Amino acid sequence: MTRRIQTSSALLLFALASIAVAQDDLPPESRRDVRYSIAVINDTTLYSNLQVPIPKYLNQFLLEPSFALRYKPHWSCASSVIALTNTYSDTYTQFRVKEAYVGLSAGDFDFMTGRRIVRWGTGYAFSPAGVLDPPRNPTNPSDRLNLNQGRDMVKADYVRGQHAFTLAWSSAILAPAGSNLRDTTAFRYNILVHGFDTSLIAGNDRGGDTFGGLTFTRVLGQAWELHGEAVWREHEAVLVGAKYTTPKGITFIGEYYTPPNIPYYRDMSISPFAARQHYAFLYVGKQRLRELPGWKQWDLDASMVSNVNDRSYTAIFDATRRFGNHLSFYLHMEAPVGSSTSEYGAAPYSSATSAGVKFQL
Amino acid sequence: MSNLMFRNLPRSIDNRAAEQRRINRILRGFLFVFAIAFLVTYALVCRAETPDAEALLKRSDLYRNGWPSYVLHVKITNYESGKSDEEKLYEVSSKGTEKSYVEFLSPREKGQHVLMLGDDMWIYLPDASRPVRITPLERLSGDASNGDVSRTNYAADYTPVYLRTEKVGSEECHVLELTAKRKGSTYQRIHYWLRVSDARPVRAEYFLTSGKHIKSATFDEYFPVGGRMQLRRMTLYDEIRHNSHSVLEYSGIAPRELPDKLFYQGRTDRF
Repeated sequence: MTRRIQTSSALLLFALASIAVAQDDLPPESRRDVRYSIAVINDTTLYSNLQVPIPKYLNQFLLEPSFALRYKPHWSCASSVIALTNTYSDTYTQFRVKEAYVGLSAGDFDFMTGRRIVRWGTGYAFSPAGVLDPPRNPTNPSDRLNLNQGRDMVKADYVRGQHAFTLAWSSAILAPAGSNLRDTTAFRYNILVHGFDTSLIAGNDRGGDTFGGLTFTRVLGQAWELHGEAVWREHEAVLVGAKYTTPKGITFIGEYYTPPNIPYYRDMSISPFAARQHYAFLYVGKQRLRELPGWKQWDLDASMVSNVNDRSYTAIFDATRRFGNHLSFYLHMEAPVGSSTSEYGAAPYSSATSAGVKFQL
Repeated sequence: MSNLMFRNLPRSIDNRAAEQRRINRILRGFLFVFAIAFLVTYALVCRAETPDAEALLKRSDLYRNGWPSYVLHVKITNYESGKSDEEKLYEVSSKGTEKSYVEFLSPREKGQHVLMLGDDMWIYLPDASRPVRITPLERLSGDASNGDVSRTNYAADYTPVYLRTEKVGSEECHVLELTAKRKGSTYQRIHYWLRVSDARPVRAEYFLTSGKHIKSATFDEYFPVGGRMQLRRMTLYDEIRHNSHSVLEYSGIAPRELPDKLFYQGRTDRF
């Protein structure tokens, strides 16, 4: 009997020791990393005081799956697509490829080919230096429905210490009909020095402009961030901006932007004979109103973008409420103000109010 | 005879007084030497008893940064009035004291990442069109802030001063006061309790530049990984909204060779 107890105790001790050893083990490194996400969005927009005979309601249903795989240490691929069903005067469904690329990493070099969203600009609402960036809409700078698509390109990066060199060639063969995209060859040198995140950009649009530019961002003290872009493309385009965060977490952003009146920068509503345009952008927002009881899951922000030349502007308000880990509801309102011939006042409605639900997995 | 005695009396008194002065001088000398010796000994003993705050802090950092280059997973569960209201998951890659890269893995934040390079920090938001520079004040947002996840090497960020020894529960602890020594530090001041026996973090209180006590932390659980004890669970208490706290659970800790280009600020990969 005693021997049996001793044997059982020994086995128990052995089992406990095995568990202890197992806990102490380091997890093995996996050769494959997989990431995926799915977003489902239903967005309904109501246009008020329409000045043209078009439907008042637009409904958009979006399914956005994304997938990325890295096979260590060299290969990676990623894709992100959108299925969009629009219900307006009629109903149609579109399929868009946001990104689809393969990458090879070898030493300090990275190569990729395919469709890819690249971001070289430093501005929030405007980005003259973002020569390969998706088009920036200052009334919707965060692309709230994730509709932006990348450019088709071959890109090589060389990163060594603080220095990063990128050479990209982008083709316009698959660009949407009616877009003014051209084949673009662009080079960027990026360095972080004394807190300045600085880039030098140069390139050429086939059959079009040669351009060059400089971007920077710099954090000052506890609360300020400054950023700017200066680009030469036929004439100079300049963006300067600043961000300020209060101790309570309220963020203010201000930007001033002046592009030359050339086809590359010009909005459709601007006359080719108009002078250089000047724009201002102001933003105030706070994510998670933690200080107010019951408002922790709310984000609120408001912004305004203005064409200083024709004194038109659009006021924008956004509110988002999260529920649990997957679901959120939002409200987005735009109110354009200005004369009917001005850039923002030319919108055929007095306000557009969008409400939507977003599910993310 | 008696005359002789009286005649010699003044000289005898003089001798005795001189003798007395000599003894007093010797005694004063002894007293002085004794006092000096006492002060020197006291100073030496006190010095020997005050632990080296810098060494203690470096040792305590090893419980959260076990290797020069490593990866780990952090699950953060936020509680409001005692009820869990949100869960977030992060993968942290860290190299040395100057570089860390945090990938957001929870459903709502997938595709986001934070990069810390020395004093500089960026957040990459897929819908913000570019990597966004984060100011030091923005690092404090959230129940568990960006800084709480990505900056855990206190010896690199703070100057420690030894305060005292005191008990936290049943544990005898050293108490350090840490003061920010660089711009990139998440907090201006930290009171840090380390277990006397092994410098394991037990408790912390975090303060802003204004002096406001913003958060407190308890370091609740450790576990062995690759022969080292590492932090498995800590709790952050919001000292402004007292009904709110966050539990940080660490797992999957492992040393890894991480290439420098992982820590490049222009990186916009999905992971």
